[in-house]
Amino acid sequence: MLCKQDLETPTIKAMLNTYHASKLSSNQCGSSLVQTIDAPLPLVWSLIRRFEYPQGYKLFVKKCNLLDGDGGIGSVREVMITSGLPAGVSVERLDKLDDDKHVLKFSIIGGDHRLVNYSSTITLHEEEEEYGGKTVAIESYAVDVPAGSSGDDTCSFANTIIACNLRSLAKITEEKVCKVNQIKL
Amino acid sequence: MAGICCGVVGEGDTPAPLEPTPRPSRRRSLDILPLKYIADMPMPPPEALRKRPKLNLRDCDNAIENCDESTGHKVTKKESKVDYDDDVVSETKNVTVSEVEEESPKFGVTSVCGRRRDMEDSVSVRPCFTQGFHYFGVFDGHGCSHVATMCKERLHEIVNEEIESARENLEWKLTMENGFARMDDEVHRRSQSNQTFTCRCELQTPHCDAVGSTAVVAVVTPDKIVVSNCGDSRAVLCRNGVAIPLSSDHKPDRPDELLRVQSKGGRVIYWDGPRVLGVLAMSRAIGDNYLKPYVISEPEVMVTERTEEDECLILASDGLWDVVSNETACGVVRMCLKAQKPPGSPGSDVAADGSDRACSDASILLTKLALARHSSDNVSVVVVDLRRDQRQSSNYNDVN
Repeated sequence: MLCKQDLETPTIKAMLNTYHASKLSSNQCGSSLVQTIDAPLPLVWSLIRRFEYPQGYKLFVKKCNLLDGDGGIGSVREVMITSGLPAGVSVERLDKLDDDKHVLKFSIIGGDHRLVNYSSTITLHEEEEEYGGKTVAIESYAVDVPAGSSGDDTCSFANTIIACNLRSLAKITEEKVCKVNQIKL
Repeated sequence: MAGICCGVVGEGDTPAPLEPTPRPSRRRSLDILPLKYIADMPMPPPEALRKRPKLNLRDCDNAIENCDESTGHKVTKKESKVDYDDDVVSETKNVTVSEVEEESPKFGVTSVCGRRRDMEDSVSVRPCFTQGFHYFGVFDGHGCSHVATMCKERLHEIVNEEIESARENLEWKLTMENGFARMDDEVHRRSQSNQTFTCRCELQTPHCDAVGSTAVVAVVTPDKIVVSNCGDSRAVLCRNGVAIPLSSDHKPDRPDELLRVQSKGGRVIYWDGPRVLGVLAMSRAIGDNYLKPYVISEPEVMVTERTEEDECLILASDGLWDVVSNETACGVVRMCLKAQKPPGSPGSDVAADGSDRACSDASILLTKLALARHSSDNVSVVVVDLRRDQRQSSNYNDVN
């Protein structure tokens, strides 16, 4: 299920077992994606944890409104999707936000798209390096397979979106690090 | 500005009258609509009178662009005159310039937001943009508007440069492929830089990776029509009453496109229709860097010899073609052109900038038809009058 086996350090393995071992029901599919980011974990987490501002790192977001809550657990956001995609609006609820363990979990609870019973978990893990820290981001999800689709196709679609977002997260945070380093020089 | 005005017309005008009527009546009224519209032309109703100022606004936009081009053209003409005394070659050149000037085709443009929240289409019309060639382009953006806007502003300049550098060995397929590749590269480089766009991307550079546009471009020369297409906008030629497609839509499930995407390691997934990786509903586009190499910017180029039977050329975004067939569109335009008064007669509606009442009416009518048939997208339409008898009429006009 995990895309990259070589990243399974003992710590990551424990986190995987704790947060990413979701059980799939019979008509569901799911997957996990891993992104290594050459930026410190606190910086990466600061972008992920802002539930009310997904466009800080996600692609395909035109606008986001909080429908309920203030960005904490239980908050509900309405995400307007950019044109050209097979979705217009996605309504999402924040289920878990752990600033100590760096875990965020959200569910899609409405909108006009084909992702039903979608839930996603994002965790960050620090990797010590000789020159500054690296961050490993893992996102896993489970979702119903829509009528007329296959699990393979559904995962392929979801993986494309998540991979784009994780690459975008890496790009933004790594650029921020570059800028900071340039200022220091 | 023109887009906004047209948007108001499009949104406010069409839906209301049709909603109360049941479907059979709606269809019947649609069938009647074109005839009624044409029948009303001699004595336009008050509603049409009220609309006219808005049309003038769009004509003004075209006039501004045309003035710039005209100035350039006149300079060229003067140069020819200076050379005239030298030898016979110059004389031939001068004649060519005159012919080209007479053959500048009449056109009409409509571009409306329709039922979408944002306007992401762009249209570019450049009469006499180089060597007496005429350029028409429709760009249907997705994700945001700035790629389509860049295409509108830059692609004709890039194509012009490619034509100039080809000199005597002008090979249209290679020239247009190079032009599109350079446009795509320019879009990519700009999205990589920190340059700002005047749109709502919120200046996050990664967002620009997921923005793209179709591009259907027609270069009309005295003897050829060159159509280059990338994406699912479309160009259709009306020849002797027959609709001839000059482009083929790049849908991901087109057999050869499906094979090409798969050969690159991509997939076409049916997710609200066929989509590359389940995401994008077209297999070729300018931009969309995140989907390369599956979604490419290479155009399909079709070169068509012009004939005496050619009546009109229609370029439009899929907001039109999704709900109006090629044959219906050609029929509508033919009716508008036939209803046109002969140029040069009193009351002729030929505007100085080359736009034309009949062509404008045709483009407006097609747009209204698309909205009436519940197109859910932006609609952009360009209608070009290709009839050759204009030349004789123009000569007659010159005598006056």
